Amino acid sequence: MNKPMPPDSNPGRPENELSELLNIGFLADAAEIGKVADTIDETLIELDVPEQKRLEIGLAVQEALVNAVVHGCENDPSKEVRCRLQSDPLGRIVITVTDPGPGFRPEALADPKHQENLYADHGRGVYLIRQLMDQVDFEHPGNEIRMWKY
Amino acid sequence: MGPAVDNLRQILEESLGCGDTRFLLNLAEVPMIDSTGIGLLVRFLASTKQKGGNVKLVQPSKFAVQTLRLVGVLNLFEIFDNDDAAVESFA
Repeated sequence: MNKPMPPDSNPGRPENELSELLNIGFLADAAEIGKVADTIDETLIELDVPEQKRLEIGLAVQEALVNAVVHGCENDPSKEVRCRLQSDPLGRIVITVTDPGPGFRPEALADPKHQENLYADHGRGVYLIRQLMDQVDFEHPGNEIRMWKY
Repeated sequence: MGPAVDNLRQILEESLGCGDTRFLLNLAEVPMIDSTGIGLLVRFLASTKQKGGNVKLVQPSKFAVQTLRLVGVLNLFEIFDNDDAAVESFA
């Protein structure tokens, strides 16, 4: 895992400007996901983010990182996933996960809560992210996800 | 995800293959369940039920319960506060 970049310290930034807290690139190896998730959790603890919120952010981030490694990078450890943690002046957290894959169409995903899908062994990751975070955006072509927690 | 889920999958499949059909999973030490873990739980629940068995959960954390509820599978499982109560329910 590449060394995370230090946070910036610009107290005079405009209201809509995001402050960079972490910017981590790591090779697409599932073993790295836990380390990145732990680093993010440690940063959220330093920010005094309440435990419930930290759990929700942590799980959403983990789901996004797994998708990036497994689907975006096809578990190819020569490819890199990037994860950024930022905050805005109102204390809102935004996490962006980017992979080099071709992307996907989130609107094409099946609803995991439909009866026929309840016993499926996959297909819940993006749905969970949307439930846990306050705002989720996919940048075209779908290889970047941006997740907000207010 | 990862080795923990893979190990659990292997153990459960081996047990099912040996004829065990009644399972109790104590989740007291599991702070969160991700979608991979949920997928394993529901698939295994389906497999055991096909053989007349069941998978029951003991002491899931508040967050694990929340997560299972969010994806609509909480009601598929019986939940217990302790192992004894879960074991008794199989009688």
